[in-house]
Amino acid sequence: MAQERSLQPQRAAELLERVEGNIHRVIVGKDRVVRLALAGLVSGGHVLLQDLPGTGKTMLARALATSVGGTFRRIQSTPDLLPSDITGSSVFNQKDLTFEFVPGPIFANIVLADEVNRATPRTQSALLEAMGEGQVTVEGTTRTLDRPFFVVATQNPAEFHGTYPLPESQLDRFVLAAEMGPPTDVEAMEVLARREHGDPIAELGAVIDVQEVIELQDACLRVVAAPAIRTYIVALMQAIRARPDVVLPASMRAGVYLQRAAQAWALFEGRDFVLPDDVKLLATPVLAHRLGMRGRGKPADMIGEVVSSVPIPPLRQH
Amino acid sequence: MASVTRWLRLPASPVEHSVEGRGFVFSGFVVAVLAIVLYGQDYVVPVLGVVAAAIGHVVSYRRRNSKRGFWRQAVLAALVFGALFYVIADSSLALFGGTLPQANFAILLVAITSFDLKTRRNCYSSLWISLAILYLAAVYAWDYAFAVLAGLWVLCLVGFWIASHHKRLNAELKGPARPVALMLGAALLGGLLSFVLIPQPSGVPVSPLVVSLPNFTAFKGGLESPALPLVQLTGDPSGATSSIDLHFRGRLGDAPVMYVRTGAPAYWRGLVFDEYRNGAWTATNHGYREMQPYVPPRFLPPAPPGNLGTFVQTFRVLRPLPGVINAAYPIQSLYAPVAALREDAYGTFHTPQPLRPGQTYSVVSFLPDLTPALLRAAEPMDQEHLDAYPDNYTIYGDPSSVSARASNLADEVTQSASTEYDKVMALTTYLQRNYRYTLDLPPVPAGKDPVDWFLFDVKTGYCEQFATAETLMLRSLGIPARLATGYATGDYDPILNQAVVREHDAHAWVEVWFPGHGWVPVDPTPGVSPLAATKFPSHWAGGGIARLIPHLSIGAPAAALGSLGVLAVVPPAIALALIAVLAYAWLRRRVWTARPRPQPGESELLRLYERLQRRLTRRRAPPETPREYQHAMGEHSSPFMGRWPEGPEGLLAEVTQAVNEGAYAGRWPDPRRVRDLAERIS
Repeated sequence: MAQERSLQPQRAAELLERVEGNIHRVIVGKDRVVRLALAGLVSGGHVLLQDLPGTGKTMLARALATSVGGTFRRIQSTPDLLPSDITGSSVFNQKDLTFEFVPGPIFANIVLADEVNRATPRTQSALLEAMGEGQVTVEGTTRTLDRPFFVVATQNPAEFHGTYPLPESQLDRFVLAAEMGPPTDVEAMEVLARREHGDPIAELGAVIDVQEVIELQDACLRVVAAPAIRTYIVALMQAIRARPDVVLPASMRAGVYLQRAAQAWALFEGRDFVLPDDVKLLATPVLAHRLGMRGRGKPADMIGEVVSSVPIPPLRQH
Repeated sequence: MASVTRWLRLPASPVEHSVEGRGFVFSGFVVAVLAIVLYGQDYVVPVLGVVAAAIGHVVSYRRRNSKRGFWRQAVLAALVFGALFYVIADSSLALFGGTLPQANFAILLVAITSFDLKTRRNCYSSLWISLAILYLAAVYAWDYAFAVLAGLWVLCLVGFWIASHHKRLNAELKGPARPVALMLGAALLGGLLSFVLIPQPSGVPVSPLVVSLPNFTAFKGGLESPALPLVQLTGDPSGATSSIDLHFRGRLGDAPVMYVRTGAPAYWRGLVFDEYRNGAWTATNHGYREMQPYVPPRFLPPAPPGNLGTFVQTFRVLRPLPGVINAAYPIQSLYAPVAALREDAYGTFHTPQPLRPGQTYSVVSFLPDLTPALLRAAEPMDQEHLDAYPDNYTIYGDPSSVSARASNLADEVTQSASTEYDKVMALTTYLQRNYRYTLDLPPVPAGKDPVDWFLFDVKTGYCEQFATAETLMLRSLGIPARLATGYATGDYDPILNQAVVREHDAHAWVEVWFPGHGWVPVDPTPGVSPLAATKFPSHWAGGGIARLIPHLSIGAPAAALGSLGVLAVVPPAIALALIAVLAYAWLRRRVWTARPRPQPGESELLRLYERLQRRLTRRRAPPETPREYQHAMGEHSSPFMGRWPEGPEGLLAEVTQAVNEGAYAGRWPDPRRVRDLAERIS
């Protein structure tokens, strides 16, 4: 019976296409970033969007949340934000004369942590615990978060004043990080045209429900990553580790995320197996934000070099 | 028809841009030519070839991007045919007097084609022809230094491969070093073991290719250079006389004279002398018969009684020698690459011209079973045997040239012996025991008979004196005897499996007539076996190695093994089986894990994928995924577009899809579907 109810790859691709189409009603172009953010959701992880202010990070996160249905909460990070502002706290109920737990914004299916590097490290770690374990502990009581639980964090790297950069260990929790990138002229004009008589996001509705998101996440877990793919991922990680300009190499968790993200990526094409192309494509978004480089080298460039030089495992397995 | 030509056409080979690679190709050729120069001692064509090839390499590198013109190709083809004419003319008519027309042809071929080295395949074919040249040189090279040249050539090949393939792919040079090293080590060890343990074949000629070209010079008049390199009036060690004067002796050095690959150690018999007068030996019988270069067994005496078999010797002459075929006797058949042979009255074969370095000839000889018991049973000389006696008995039996006291000594030594064999052996062992062998002997004083002087005055001498004294003393006893000259077996080289015969191996011994057995060699020189007949061969290379280590006693068991004959295969076979079992057990412990068999369709599809890549001029680079390769090939405007009805992209896309499904989802296509796809290629 479970077999019949489970989502077929073809159906998953249709659902994802529907969501993508919906998001594109708001976001002009940026197919890759949109797909990456969606892949983050399908893989069951969390996504970090980083770029300059005003490039559409928040808009993307909102459009994604709206398209998926479910509950959506937004945390606007500021230096005076407290952990309890995220997790919620007990409030004295004057009527019943009892303490009553008021859940914070973290208790939602999709959480937008806007400008996460503006919050203090203490608040950041409360958020990141929830991200890592899918549960929060408030006043000694551990509360499990609902499925799906998906955090989209945004940060703007250029703003140095009043920011607390995320430490590497916490950056490691995001399955992938994406940059919006500047729009092309055509895209920019299209954005202006759409905003001429209002904000299109106001008209946006949900196209899939929470149950379908859970099914997508389950389908992602069923995608096959062949031994050759595992060999390839390990070879990539080894090659990065062997580079002399890498100070902080990719962690084991990074490898796990790379495989999971590649599984999610396969679903977009309706495949039930991972191709080395998926791994190649996702290597930079999954790995770049975790790596520490010596000097001024850019992790993305280094990963590009590694990906184009490490041989893929032989096709013949026997 | 069009499909046939398409099928015949080779897939395109990429243009070779690597200068280093071309340098390696040229170096490989130079190495091969060097081998020809060193071993073939041919200089004109090799030098011309190298110069032409150098120019050709520069020209073809500069023109590598331009199209091949018809007239250019026609001129090159004409030159190739010219070279072909040269090789035919030189090898059949000796028109240019070249010693190695085959090698010269190959050198010219490389030189001509080096003007047309456009693609990688051209470079490879140049290297392969160089290998052929090296092979021709290898037939001439019978020493270790050749391995250096062969190694250099291999380096050139590897260098070209790296320069051409690896640089192109921008791939790291990372080979399976450990397995390759292990494999090489194992192969080396296995080869060594099999070399030591497996009997060396004695009945098969060793040379894979007869490269000594026929020499079409015919006999002019009598024997031109019928001498032997032992003793001459002139002191010239190459010999130019048909007599031996015991008053003088030339100095003999250590220079190698010839190499012999032989199935059995033997004396290489050359000229035979019968008349001794005034201290000098001469041959009195000048009769001969003409023979073809190949002398089949039917023209030669039948096998001696008690023949144990035959064995082959291949002789390779290293320095100019008199035109005498030195070989183990009695001969069953022989082949020498000359116009004609002459067999003299003593059974020795002569060639029309002196033997030149590099010449080879092969002889098959009988292996007579000359045991003391058999010879002792030989009947005594009587009138019936005298009638059957082949040669001039009066000379062999002529006791006049021996002095009275020598004759008395012979009687004294042999008085207790009854049979002919015992008499011969008594005299031989007497000489061996009581006389000293030396090469440093002053000239015989004037007026003295060399034999008397040796027997009663100095009591030391060299082989001719021992042999002469015994011959004359036997004649005084009425036993027919004559002097044989030639070479001793030489030093056995177990690595190259050949005996190196040097100048100082020049030797003289006695041939004694035994009724029913013919001429039996007997050697009175101290330190050797008195019965100098060919020994039963010790096939064992181990025996040869043991001979190199004088104080090791394994030579004796090895020789004993040799005397076992065919049964001797058993002990090394047991040893080999033991090694195999041990190796198997070790392997089983180490890496004996069952490997899954490839699924149906897997091998077929991957083979098809490889074929498709070859057709598409560029193969998939290691870091390239099948899909990236497909896209790259789609963007490229392939010159082979239109070779398939729907263009290669459609087929490539389908195959790529199938390969991805197979390799990454484990769903290999049905072999029938692969066959359908394959049909669309051709």
